[in-house]
Amino acid sequence: MARRHRLFGVVGLAGRRVLGRLRTTSSKQVLLSVLGVALAVTLMTTVSGIALGLGAENAIQSEGVDYWVVPEASTASSVAVSVGSPQLGDTHAITDRLSRDERVDYATPVQTQLVTLAPEGGSTDEYVLAAGIIPPEEPTSVVGVSTEALTPGDPHYANGSYDGPRTGELVLNDAAAELLGVSAGDEVTASVGGSKAAFTVADVREGSLSSGVGPVPVALVHLSELQTMTGSTEGDLADQLLVSTDSAGVRSDIEALYPRTSVVTQTGLAVRGASTSSLPLAMAAVSLVVAVLVGVLFVATMMGLEVNADRRNLAVLSAMGYRTSSQMLLVVAETVVVATVGGVVGVVAGIGGIHLTNAITRELLGVQVALFDPVLVGYSVAVAALIGLVSSVYPAWLTWRTPTLEAMSHD
Amino acid sequence: MSDSVSEHRPPAAADSAATLRCEQVVREYTRGSDSLFSRGSDAPTVRALDGVSISVSTGEFVAIAGPSGSGKSTLLHLLAALDTPTRGDVRIAGTDVRSLSNRGRTKLRRDTIGIVFQHFHLLPSLSARGNVALPLIERGVSKRDRRARAEELLERVGLGDRAGHKPGELSGGEQQRVAIARALVSDPAVLIADEPTGELDTETGQRVLDYIEQTATERAVVVATHDEHVIERADRVVRLRDGHVVSDG
Repeated sequence: MARRHRLFGVVGLAGRRVLGRLRTTSSKQVLLSVLGVALAVTLMTTVSGIALGLGAENAIQSEGVDYWVVPEASTASSVAVSVGSPQLGDTHAITDRLSRDERVDYATPVQTQLVTLAPEGGSTDEYVLAAGIIPPEEPTSVVGVSTEALTPGDPHYANGSYDGPRTGELVLNDAAAELLGVSAGDEVTASVGGSKAAFTVADVREGSLSSGVGPVPVALVHLSELQTMTGSTEGDLADQLLVSTDSAGVRSDIEALYPRTSVVTQTGLAVRGASTSSLPLAMAAVSLVVAVLVGVLFVATMMGLEVNADRRNLAVLSAMGYRTSSQMLLVVAETVVVATVGGVVGVVAGIGGIHLTNAITRELLGVQVALFDPVLVGYSVAVAALIGLVSSVYPAWLTWRTPTLEAMSHD
Repeated sequence: MSDSVSEHRPPAAADSAATLRCEQVVREYTRGSDSLFSRGSDAPTVRALDGVSISVSTGEFVAIAGPSGSGKSTLLHLLAALDTPTRGDVRIAGTDVRSLSNRGRTKLRRDTIGIVFQHFHLLPSLSARGNVALPLIERGVSKRDRRARAEELLERVGLGDRAGHKPGELSGGEQQRVAIARALVSDPAVLIADEPTGELDTETGQRVLDYIEQTATERAVVVATHDEHVIERADRVVRLRDGHVVSDG
């Protein structure tokens, strides 16, 4: 019991000393340590938010779809950028083969492409995420938007000749319709690079692809009509394959369709973002490593200076009979408290950073790329505490080697 | 506890029963011993104490006097178990200090010794109550008991109404009384004070002396001082010069 009272007493003493120093700003080292951790955690939280945003939107979500087939290196197929990422080939034929399997309810390739849409007679154009699909007979929803208004199948594909009748149909989600100021029946012109094509808004549907803190404007079109615009008719390319099925046994067949692809289940969607998307994962990992390294170096240096400035008080504690281990515990606890306070400040600033990032990308690209998740709060504060714990080794070592008598005369 | 106590106390007990005892103590320091390049056997040594023998019993108030550099602080450090002698014996409450490890001396200080510093050395971020309770944390006393004991001690030194104040809000005399309360909160057998009136005016110094004098009825008290007022009120005065005891009585 006495040991527990001592432990809690020393930790409480550490908290009171740190807060006392922060209140009076008497210690620049403590203040700088808090600011250093806050800065590192701010950057880490913001970058992690962007990584979360990118990772979470890497797959095209669709109700009733049980499997996603995505290229293993599909790192850039975010909502904002899909050009240049590895793609699946011969997708119409593969999808046709899959659809003939009785166990498969529905399959469609999906090509995503950021396009500009301009309403007829409008003076401005807006960026919209176009998703090219093969609409099924039974309406479903892809990217949160119903396919009901699209003509089933992909008539323009015409067995690979791309000379079939063009439907020119386009279904917008409400975010896109609001952005463009159009409604069902209006004409819009889509542009990608130098390619332009006219579409008719077949329908406006509720439903959104969530990214960051706001909806992404989305347009559903027939795959071949988007492929024609993006120049991906050669090889019949698409970014992903969505498969809806009740049979778990179909997974092995899906996995055999393409080499170097990942098949992800619906329940594993959240995990997939981390497991198959190396860019967001790498961003998050690098931000973590940088935050910990910068934070540890900064806090260790500052708290080392603080111990040096405070060595007389530590010597007084020693003169009172404080064990060296208690003094070290005091310094470790103080360092962790300082880092955690910095972490809390950093989380608040990091949330601001996520909103700022989204505001900038919304202004420049028309989309929001960063995502705030409450888990980020716990994660960031835990990282800050880790920074404190790791960096406390140095000030604790300085405390251990502080000679009591010499430090007593230190002023 | 009254503000003015000057009772006659019995003479020192026999050496064998002394709470503090030094016998033929020598303390030498190697000059520049903290330098990486001067640890050779030819490094010059300074003898701060040379064959010092004194004893202090429970109930005694002993003043250690002498000019600067006479060895007062060195002797005080030995009696407070903050240092060990180069030669000779130092016994505190029957324990041979030389036989103890650093850890053992820390425990001895925690259990047996209270120290009052010239510059008070209170922690600025803690209240008077928090400062007084500091030694009790290390002894594993519960928070409730620490608070009660600290307030009791502050009451005894006349600062019951200042318990929540930070050191910066207290006068020099009040800070020294807080320091005395802190030194006594564990009820130590030995009280060591280094120039406790050195930074106080005469009147405040007299009041602080009253408190120290009162505590001497229950413990051995040793005060290093230049202050003639302290010397006048001590039961015994040990005078040092150049590391030697020149008078004891």
